[in-house]
Amino acid sequence: MSEPFSVLDKRIRFTRLILFYLRKGREEARSGCIVGGLTLERALSLTWIKVKVESTIGKYPKRSFTSLHNNFQERVQNLKQETFYLLYDLKIKRAIIINQAKLLNREIFSTSTITVVETMASERLGEVISMKEEVIKNACSIAMKAHKLPEKQLYLVEKNRGSSDVIFSFPGSWTISDWFSRSPFGEKMIDPHPPQFASLRSIGNDQVATVNEAFLTRFQAILPQLQSEVVKAVADRKQIVFTGHSSAGPIAVLMTVWFLENWENFIKSDPSTSRMPPICVTFGSPLVGDFIINHALRRESWSHYFIHFVMRYDIVPRVLLAPLSSLEPELKTILDFLNPKCTIHIQEPTREASALYVTVMRNASSVASHAACHLMGNTNKLSDTLLSFIELSPYRPFGTYVFCTGDRELVVMKNPDAVLQILFYSSQLSSEVEGPEIALRSVKDHFNYQSELQNLETKGVAHFDNLEGLPLSSNVGAAGLGLVLNNLGLSTRARLCLCAAGELEKQKRRNQDKINKKKTDIEKGLLALEGYKTRCEAGRVSYYDALKLSKDTDDFNANVRRLELAGIFDEIMEMLKRYELPDEFEGHREWINIGTRYRRIVEPLDIANYYRHLKNEDTGPYMKRGRPKRYRYTQRWLEYALKISAGSSGESCFWARIEDLCLRTINMGLFEDVKEEILSLEKQVEKWVQNRELGDDIFFEDSTFVKWWKKLPQQHRSGSCISKFINN
Amino acid sequence: MSQFSLFSSGIELANLVVSSGLLKLSWDKISELYTELNQSEEIRWKVYQQPQSNCIIVAFVVSPNRTKQLLEEEELVPSSSLPFFHFLRTKIDSSFSISKAAVTLFDCVLDQLSSFKDRVGNSISMIITGHCLGGSVASLFTLCLLKSINQPGTKRPLCITFGAPLIGDKGLQQAISQNLMWNSDFLHVAASQDLVPRFFISPYNPNAMEIDSQIGIYKPFGIFLLCSKYGCSSLEDPEAVSEVLVAMDLEIARNKPPNEQWHMFDYGAVVKRLMSTISFKGISQLSEMIECPRQAGIVLQLQAIGLNRRQQSGDSNPLIAKLEKCEEAFVSKRKMGFDPSKKLNKRKEDMAKLEWYKKVSKSEDKGYYDSYKNRGSKKDLHVVTFKKSLTNYWKEMVAEVERMPQKEEASFRTRWLYGGTNYRRMVEPLDIADYYKENGKKDYKANGRSEHYIKLEKWLEEAGKPLSSQVITRKQNVSASLTEDSCFWAHVEEALIQCELLRNGQEEESTRKKLIEFEEYVMEQIKEYAVSPEIFLGGSSFMQWWKDYEQIVGTSYKSQLTDFMKSRLYQQYH
Repeated sequence: MSEPFSVLDKRIRFTRLILFYLRKGREEARSGCIVGGLTLERALSLTWIKVKVESTIGKYPKRSFTSLHNNFQERVQNLKQETFYLLYDLKIKRAIIINQAKLLNREIFSTSTITVVETMASERLGEVISMKEEVIKNACSIAMKAHKLPEKQLYLVEKNRGSSDVIFSFPGSWTISDWFSRSPFGEKMIDPHPPQFASLRSIGNDQVATVNEAFLTRFQAILPQLQSEVVKAVADRKQIVFTGHSSAGPIAVLMTVWFLENWENFIKSDPSTSRMPPICVTFGSPLVGDFIINHALRRESWSHYFIHFVMRYDIVPRVLLAPLSSLEPELKTILDFLNPKCTIHIQEPTREASALYVTVMRNASSVASHAACHLMGNTNKLSDTLLSFIELSPYRPFGTYVFCTGDRELVVMKNPDAVLQILFYSSQLSSEVEGPEIALRSVKDHFNYQSELQNLETKGVAHFDNLEGLPLSSNVGAAGLGLVLNNLGLSTRARLCLCAAGELEKQKRRNQDKINKKKTDIEKGLLALEGYKTRCEAGRVSYYDALKLSKDTDDFNANVRRLELAGIFDEIMEMLKRYELPDEFEGHREWINIGTRYRRIVEPLDIANYYRHLKNEDTGPYMKRGRPKRYRYTQRWLEYALKISAGSSGESCFWARIEDLCLRTINMGLFEDVKEEILSLEKQVEKWVQNRELGDDIFFEDSTFVKWWKKLPQQHRSGSCISKFINN
Repeated sequence: MSQFSLFSSGIELANLVVSSGLLKLSWDKISELYTELNQSEEIRWKVYQQPQSNCIIVAFVVSPNRTKQLLEEEELVPSSSLPFFHFLRTKIDSSFSISKAAVTLFDCVLDQLSSFKDRVGNSISMIITGHCLGGSVASLFTLCLLKSINQPGTKRPLCITFGAPLIGDKGLQQAISQNLMWNSDFLHVAASQDLVPRFFISPYNPNAMEIDSQIGIYKPFGIFLLCSKYGCSSLEDPEAVSEVLVAMDLEIARNKPPNEQWHMFDYGAVVKRLMSTISFKGISQLSEMIECPRQAGIVLQLQAIGLNRRQQSGDSNPLIAKLEKCEEAFVSKRKMGFDPSKKLNKRKEDMAKLEWYKKVSKSEDKGYYDSYKNRGSKKDLHVVTFKKSLTNYWKEMVAEVERMPQKEEASFRTRWLYGGTNYRRMVEPLDIADYYKENGKKDYKANGRSEHYIKLEKWLEEAGKPLSSQVITRKQNVSASLTEDSCFWAHVEEALIQCELLRNGQEEESTRKKLIEFEEYVMEQIKEYAVSPEIFLGGSSFMQWWKDYEQIVGTSYKSQLTDFMKSRLYQQYH
């Protein structure tokens, strides 16, 4: 009976929320503020959520709900009326109200599925991204100031007396080789054996991120000088802010990642230091790296420390979507024009701006459409076949984007797939006449951040949490959310892409829910196998050997259990491989623990089965050819979480190594060839057994391991570090 | 994932194609080639190497006069007289027809093309393009390339046709679209003002209709990029393509005089316009409230191809509903598609259970073959269930592999070969048992063996012998493994039948000979450690045979096998 109560709980909460927004909306409406309408819309949409909750009542015993039900109906009616009156008060077009009413009617009175249309609040930017407006404005002016630094000075530190912030900013670079190190897109894979950026990877898939090489080089040149200043600021318990405008944006981003990776060390070396997370604010920054950056930052829960401001038409955040060869001469001219230090007066580069705009848009269009095909679940292979004829930019957005519409609203977007679509669609033209003007604006807007953000406090903020239910039509219901989307120039096509991005995100969450529900099954399976192991041990047999012989029903049952668990884990790994789970998944402590427990108890059985069926004969050794993803991935999870080197947590493969050694040492004359390997394995075994990572059932009298070990030369055995475990 | 059915991605795919610039690239070559076309020439083709890339473009054009002539013939050539395309035939669709016009032109250049194909191989990216009937020839040439795209490392070709007429019937459509990869190798650009792409499907063209019915003979295949002055969209589902082509025809007929003179349509302007509209929002606006994203997507598509005409009555366009239905059917067909890895672990459980059954039967001194054959206890009945789900799984798997293009097939086979072989060795004996249980049935291998076992065995042979394993380790583990020849028991059953014949006095030379062959066969298997020691269990059919045989041949008879059996050497075989 716990579920009905949770529903009840939700209802009370919702009712409170709705009343809150109604009150707030009424007040705002009275003070003549346009956002009042938006707040009211939120109240309206919450009413719909309530109705949705209502519709689930059917599932529960009617008796307990009859009274609640009546009560609720009444409230909905009241709220509905109240909302309508308030909308009238606001003198919003009659047509809109009729439309809303229609929707509302359908929502409330039809029994068909009810979609929660929108949850959008109008708050101040600071509330939405939890950062003070003052800091943002400060950061912006300091980011601009950094451009004027003398040649040799690589960064600027701004410490205001009395203020708790320390702002680090960097000058931009205006030579093309500092943007594109080479053709086509100047990208470079991060060193897979890193001292730096170890976190920028996809763990199970063992895929490292790709970043722009030129930006990385500049970052590496600046870091040694900056390091000590940062450490000092941390020690002074300051709020660290990294900021940058234009090509300095990526430097700020990389600095922040570097900081986050070393944060723990800072705290460890001096426990009194600030535990305040750093902030990274960029203005008109070009893209930094591929989709793995977003994946990794989300997994680490660092994503929300990164805020990117982008003017609706600014070309710079889009420029890396096009290959160098397509825009080199134009970009060169434009960069010269933008360079604040350039002393020669350059005429407005109308022609180059137009050419650059068209090229960037064409390439951005390819990237966006290719991504959209994926978002929409397109199944045909043409979009992939095309990739063997054209090259698409690998760069993708991450973090929180704040789009400045140039009007009164700011649009905040966190879904990186949606951001990519907006980067393309928001620059689209509505008519041919606009062309030259917008092209020139796309260049000039790059230096308009400071003026745009001047009256930041008064701006309305549209914050998209729910992308699936966007109003698709751009000329109906042009209020609230619709209006904001219009101001950003998003056509129906664009909105469909955003919906698809939202739907994919939701689907990933659904996948995770599905997997979480399997936890009990996993637990059951693991307990059963742990029981099996204990029973075997009671008979002085290692469960590895027991399964390999498979004499009893118990062994057979264990094998079936193993296969049941394999089914569950294989499904998870398959989803991870296709990035169909939320990015956070591999960061969940609980799953890492489940994975490790699973690997340690079950992998020996997989190995036993492998060698029992002689799969090594036609497939090759287990470690080389036979090891399933479910163990390779879970091992990487643990190694990454513990920050230990790859391959060091190989205890679950112990038996595979023994089997391999058994085969290779059939003829003991070869001992010298494998001596090194045996020595290192013995050392590891000692450690694993002491840490209880490996059970001591491996030392039973008749275990495959002991039998083999006893065949090793006496001389070796007597000196071995594990001889103490083995009963001679 | 389940969001597949929520959206219609036609517009986005079309946009990707346009912004990729490949349409312009291809059309430029075609218009260049037209200028080189001699008055007397019927068809001309040329290979263009792209600077700084490992990509070539093969373009085809056909002289306008000849085109006009050929388009008047709507005859189809049946596949039986097209030996060159026999590889397209599969078990399911054994026949198809291709338009005579296309085949005639293709034959003109076939020899040159063949030698060109041999010369370039499959290692470079190739765009095959053509205009009008040239496009038809391009399609046929691409089909030929698909035939040989089986070696690893080969690149998929891309066929881009402009205003090509339909070239095949339902059979061809099915042959191509049952294969996901093949179907998306064809991109047909069709402008709404161009009559040719829908010439053979037009309801106004009486010759294109099947006799006594309103259904056209010609059917589309591949992906269509449909464009109008408003924009463009792509469609993949062949049913939807047919619907839209017919609707376009009706739409145009409504607006234009029916007897308009036919002319070659120039796609240069179309491509140029499409390229220039990338930066524009275009007309992609909804005039009404639509909440369903898929429906909204379809409305946008129809707008883009100029078919979103409002009905006079104020009802919504019936085409929207039709396309929605098509899309739904198409998606659910895809979803139903077979995913072998999904059920694999379940099937592994079945195998584990069978293995256990084998083990238990062994402890009863019978062997699972005979245990199953006699069906004495409850557990034997359980096996029927596992066996059934396993057989269904692998039958489906083999059928799926058969439908795959050869390249995928090859890699697929290696991945699943181990499981397949294990399955065959474990389960086929049970099928043999079922077969011989029915009285009087003979010769399993010729009459009773299911196709999928034959295929699985053939693939193993083609994959080459597994790593030569030492006989010692083989011997060590032979007790745990399965008899390698899954038809071993069929041989035993046949031998039993021969013995029966001899006992009944039907003494015949051939019967004796067969038994001796069987002896040799068994001995060879034993030497290779290829049979499971279970065959020597007391209650096994093999031992039954041996008893019969020993009586028949008498004590004086001597052979390798009789020595082996009499001296009870088999007791050491494990």
